[in-house]
Amino acid sequence: MRFLRQKFLGQTLAIAAKDLRSEIRGKEAVNASVSFALVILLLFSFAFDLEPEQIRDIAGGLLWLVFAFAGTLILNRSFARELVNDCLDALLASPVSGAQLFFGKCLANYVLIIIVECISLPVFAIFYNVRVPQRMALLFLVMLLGTWGITVIGTLFSAMTVNLRLRELMLPTLIYPMLIPALVGAIELSRVLINGGPLAENMIWFRILVAFNVIFTILSLALVEIVLVG
Amino acid sequence: MRLKIILTLSAVAGLILTWNLSRIFLQVPDEANQGAIFRIIYFHVPAAITSFVGFYLAMFSAIGYLVTKDLRFDSVAASVNEVSLAFASITLCTGSIWGRIIWGIWWTWDPRLTSFFVCWLIYVGYFMLRRAIDDPTARARLSAVLSIFACVDIVLVWKSIEWFRTQHPGPVLEIRGGGGMAPGMEAPLCWNFLALLMLATALILIRTRQESTKLEIDALRRHANAF
Amino acid sequence: MSPQNYTFMFYGFAVAWLIVIGYVISIAVREKKLRQELDRVKKMVEEGEGTRR
Repeated sequence: MRFLRQKFLGQTLAIAAKDLRSEIRGKEAVNASVSFALVILLLFSFAFDLEPEQIRDIAGGLLWLVFAFAGTLILNRSFARELVNDCLDALLASPVSGAQLFFGKCLANYVLIIIVECISLPVFAIFYNVRVPQRMALLFLVMLLGTWGITVIGTLFSAMTVNLRLRELMLPTLIYPMLIPALVGAIELSRVLINGGPLAENMIWFRILVAFNVIFTILSLALVEIVLVG
Repeated sequence: MRLKIILTLSAVAGLILTWNLSRIFLQVPDEANQGAIFRIIYFHVPAAITSFVGFYLAMFSAIGYLVTKDLRFDSVAASVNEVSLAFASITLCTGSIWGRIIWGIWWTWDPRLTSFFVCWLIYVGYFMLRRAIDDPTARARLSAVLSIFACVDIVLVWKSIEWFRTQHPGPVLEIRGGGGMAPGMEAPLCWNFLALLMLATALILIRTRQESTKLEIDALRRHANAF
Repeated sequence: MSPQNYTFMFYGFAVAWLIVIGYVISIAVREKKLRQELDRVKKMVEEGEGTRR
């Protein structure tokens, strides 16, 4: 049993390491994603002209909009990068199962999106004079939970749309409505943590985030083989 | 035989709707708070329930395809989703008009309307995905997976938007004007619901036949090109 | 009730019916196109079989 688990994990981590290594050497997706995040933060400054108290109120929403939009750039490339030279066919023909391939890519995307978020968060705090809250650790936990939801759905839909002509258009259109429970939960928790509100009343959002992550991770692992192979 | 079923269903549905319409306009009294616009409920609620039932039926049909690999299940799933999307559009438009009278604005982020809008968006995406894929097997496979995801997600979307709105209260569309509905008012609702279900079934049957015809055309074209 | 109320009620019903009728019309148009396509492809198959013989 342990041997099987190690084998699953071993190959999954190998896939994740491959993607991360390729990204660290090229740095294309992370650069594009961070630049996009900065552009959105700039555009928000023109769209909203608010007092500091009002900014703190909507800070959670702004932050997660930035994370969601910037994250999509990374998710789009996830399976698209394998189309060149038929790498995707080679991966599917290899002993790596669909679930391992999917989970490995999920882990790689997760790390990359967290990196983008860790860069965007202080920039956001500086641009909009939002003081870094006391409960920074909890805010980071919310980021971890929310980002996993975005990653799981985004990676599966990236696999689904990989062979389509309008891939870049279709991925955001498909995933954003599906991500609403995770985004609303993350936005509400971030808002409460940044404003210093009572966390005890908002535990429902933690539950929604965790439920979303668990349900869709299991569903994705179950269905990814069908998406990739048939 | 099938054509007879379709025609009978449509005719009966049409009759019930016409008869009900006369009842709604002439016999049911105006609701105390909302007035005449209250009667929109007789389309709004049955359309909403029909579309929801349709989406979940389509999910089971999609699962049927994944299990049996029979493309007829996919035809049924696509047809049911399309008719349900049409009924969802009716729900959104009638809800918006209802809101226009009650609050004077064309749209409001009422939890039910918002969740319905998200549902509508998800299924518009479903049809965009179907259009973008040419191969029938791949199309059936991927839209089946999307259908399963959508139906699981809709529950979470509904609940999370509801909880969001309890914390940020906004306007809420009251179906029942303060308390229950008078007994005279409930019967036309059930009749309209039955009529809309029959209409939906007739439309689904027609669409499924069209999808089967499309598959037949594809097969014939492959046969013709084989020479 | 106010006349505006009745006006909007009729808008509401009109919109619902328009959507249904519009959808039925789109189905009918698609049916016609499918019929034409089916006839065309059937003719293509027959021609192909004819030239083969």
